[in-house]
Amino acid sequence: MKLSTVHVQDLRKTFWDESRGEIRAVDGLDFDCRPGEIFGLLGANGAGKTTTLRMLATILKPTGGQAYLNGHEVTAEPEAVRRSLGFYSASTALYPRLTARETLEFFARVNRFPADKVAERVETLVERFGISEYQGARVEKLSSGMKQKVSIARTVVHDPPILIFDEPTVGLDVMAALEMQRVIRELRDEGKCIIFSTHIMSEAERLCDRIGVIHRGRLLALGTLDEHRERTGQHYLEDIFVHEVMAVEDDLKESTGIGATGELEAGP
Amino acid sequence: MIIWGSGDRGVFATLFLYEIKRLLRYRRVILIAVVAPLLLYPVMIFILRRVDQSEARRLDEAIYEYALTGDEAGWGRAVLAKALALELDQPGEDHVHVHFEDRSGLDAEAMLQEGQIHVLVEALSSEEYERIRAEEDVDSADSQGGGSSDAGGTQVVDVDLPLRIIRLKYRAQSDFSRTAADRLRERLVEVRGLMRDSVYRAGGFPVEPAQVGTVVTENLASPEKEGGAVLGLALTPFLLLLMLTGGSIMAVDAISGEKERGTLETLLATGASRTEIVSAKQLAIIVVGVAVAVINILNLLLYLVLGLFQLPENFAVSLSLLDLVLLLVLFLPLTVLISNALLLLSGYAKSYKEYQIYFFPLLLAFLAPSVAGVLPGMDLHSAVALVPVAGISVAVREIMLGEYDWIFLVLAQISTSLAALWAARLTERTLSTERLISHADLDEADLLGGPALFPRHVLRWFGVMWVVFLLISLWFGQELGLRGQVAVNLVGIFLGGSILMIRHYRLDVREAFALRRVHPAVWLAVVIGAPAGYVLGIGLAGLVNTYLFPVPQNVLEAFGDVMLGNDIPLWQLILFLSIMPGVLEELAFRGVLLHGLRKIVGPVGICLVVGAIFGIFHVSLFRLIPTAYLGALLAAVVLLTGSIFPVMVWHAASNAIALVPAYLGWVSEDPALPGWIYGAAVLALAVTFWILWLVRRPYPGLRKTPPPGLES
Repeated sequence: MKLSTVHVQDLRKTFWDESRGEIRAVDGLDFDCRPGEIFGLLGANGAGKTTTLRMLATILKPTGGQAYLNGHEVTAEPEAVRRSLGFYSASTALYPRLTARETLEFFARVNRFPADKVAERVETLVERFGISEYQGARVEKLSSGMKQKVSIARTVVHDPPILIFDEPTVGLDVMAALEMQRVIRELRDEGKCIIFSTHIMSEAERLCDRIGVIHRGRLLALGTLDEHRERTGQHYLEDIFVHEVMAVEDDLKESTGIGATGELEAGP
Repeated sequence: MIIWGSGDRGVFATLFLYEIKRLLRYRRVILIAVVAPLLLYPVMIFILRRVDQSEARRLDEAIYEYALTGDEAGWGRAVLAKALALELDQPGEDHVHVHFEDRSGLDAEAMLQEGQIHVLVEALSSEEYERIRAEEDVDSADSQGGGSSDAGGTQVVDVDLPLRIIRLKYRAQSDFSRTAADRLRERLVEVRGLMRDSVYRAGGFPVEPAQVGTVVTENLASPEKEGGAVLGLALTPFLLLLMLTGGSIMAVDAISGEKERGTLETLLATGASRTEIVSAKQLAIIVVGVAVAVINILNLLLYLVLGLFQLPENFAVSLSLLDLVLLLVLFLPLTVLISNALLLLSGYAKSYKEYQIYFFPLLLAFLAPSVAGVLPGMDLHSAVALVPVAGISVAVREIMLGEYDWIFLVLAQISTSLAALWAARLTERTLSTERLISHADLDEADLLGGPALFPRHVLRWFGVMWVVFLLISLWFGQELGLRGQVAVNLVGIFLGGSILMIRHYRLDVREAFALRRVHPAVWLAVVIGAPAGYVLGIGLAGLVNTYLFPVPQNVLEAFGDVMLGNDIPLWQLILFLSIMPGVLEELAFRGVLLHGLRKIVGPVGICLVVGAIFGIFHVSLFRLIPTAYLGALLAAVVLLTGSIFPVMVWHAASNAIALVPAYLGWVSEDPALPGWIYGAAVLALAVTFWILWLVRRPYPGLRKTPPPGLES
């Protein structure tokens, strides 16, 4: 297997709910992501994006299938997988009582970045993300924009080859969202393998090299934006997405007589 | 497994140091949880001492007023004069003498009631005394129904007829009245001694009365042993309390705080292993817990040196180096157990608020076994050595006494160490489960509320009910009496709490109380099962009493007296102690509680949890296991029949079987039953459950079991 790639094969996650029984949050996903590529997972709320990315980050255990990150399988070598990736999501917060610099040092050390190079690496990131002015301030005192920069720096502090961004622009204002997109593009240009999930079509359109449309835990379509356009005959990603999703819903309605869209988030 | 040295030491050390660093920066918490108590203790001790001293001075300097009545008032006045002369001539050693003034008036009794005098002295002939007593007995019998109580206490001096009697009446609720009666009584007893001696002499007693013989007691224990005995009782509960409250400062933030902030997911996605994360948090809790305990102990020692409070006279403790090492070795698994329990609690709770709700029951769960060392007659040569925490508590006491048995010491150490290891494993597993993160998210139950949310909240409700129940028992238990307790506990707490839950969560009454019809054969099972279950309960109580918590006979007798009373008609006893508990306790425990638990745990878990909670509600160490057994048994019956009605009858019958023979005095001195009866009871219980199984109508809506490999 080629290094620095993500390879997902028939990945499945079934949750058990006492009253509803089995819920298939992720139902047989297959995709790859290469170095220097941004792979977008596009889906509505509850489609299975977060569950998929949490499985890749080894926070959740897959019920079936395999996922290799940097050559390590998520179930067999979870710690090696986590050392190879940086995970960022709207719910990954920072410790309020640590300073910005301490935050970076802490995450570098717990991710086993060589101890003698931690200070140098932190210095580089402080400069790169423009944190130097407030590096000694506690995170709780920082504005949300500053926190966002520290969070991104925290994600890449151990220089992982794979980066996962789970809806990173949720709750950000326009300028902050654009800044986030700029940073992600930069990281891609540095050769990182980036998996990016969103439900914002314009963001996926602008940022992703390849896009997988996910619905009810399944990958409905996978390809570049041009390939999606060609297959569906639609120009805008929003129309492409609706086209793909409605095709499945119509099939489901025909087979069961039940139509359902916009369900609650199925998994955790 | 949690091994301190496993993994990369750098990662572990980083995790640990940053935990401590973050805590130390939480200034408000440090101030409120550590510094404030340190400062408050001396202030509190100082105020208490001042209040105590001033109260003692007031009592000593007060002039006590009395009135003298009775048909032998002349004689009484002479005796009293001698007693008061003694009081004036020989003041007590530790306080100045008390002044008395005669305020004899017309209605002395009313004066006493109104507080115009402190003590009423009645000098009576034996005939007059008998007459008054007979009248009072009639009055007291008449006033039973009204529930009035005598406000004053009565002490009788010298009832040895045909001598005359001095009766002191006082009001126990007044410190002054009580002190007056106590002092006067002491002096009157002295006067009686002097008078008796002079009668002996006048009658030609051949020797000086004091030479007849005297009794001298001599204590062979050294001050060190006495000190060790006192300190040994309190040491484990005291350290536990400090460790739990101190460690909690760290634990509350360790996982539930991280969940609430959203940093847990960040941490779990790093290269640190779960073992390293758990171990670092455990060590941080232990370090903070021990640090808080040490700070508090040093603080206490400082107050001792400053003389803010004194130890008892001749108080001394002597420990050899070996004893100290043994104590450390014994406390080590206890600290690990505490840190794991706190961490587990933190992992289970979704937020700070939830952690705080769960903390109090955990505190009690640790303190209850730790007071084992205080129980009379408890030594390490029993199964208590195998009970985690309790074994350590008794072992510590024996080391402080300097008398211990190595084998049982090792057993106590092993039992708590095993519990600590088990808790460590459970904590690590909890941190690895997906619930840890999913619990932090808003889920369907949160959105739906009502019946969907009830299973998650049911234990919280019973926790609150238990606290109310306990506080009422502690504060008002004596005053309430049997009828009051039934009204408050059964009707107020159990029925009231159940109705509140049903209303708050919009539950279906029939479902929540399991009001369903049963197959007629179930009643046959109840008729066989109730006495059989009761007999096995007695056997279990006997085993507990013999091997686990030896209960002194006087405690059992006192309990029997309280339960049976001596002036309550049988029909009322059956109503209050059999029928009402049968109906109301069942509605609460096998009704609402079981209904809430059905989605959380499986059938076996339901029986165990319902049984344990039912046992805990009986607030007594020696009744805990037998009542928990009955609770679990009844839960099993409800699960098989799907109905509350059979267990209402079963419970009421079981209580009646315990009550009626005891009330009628049919119980023999030896409570042990012949062995064959237990055998027959086991057989009868087996037949009962066989019948219940044959005609079963399982409780509806029980939790579905997830297929292998799926986590719920």
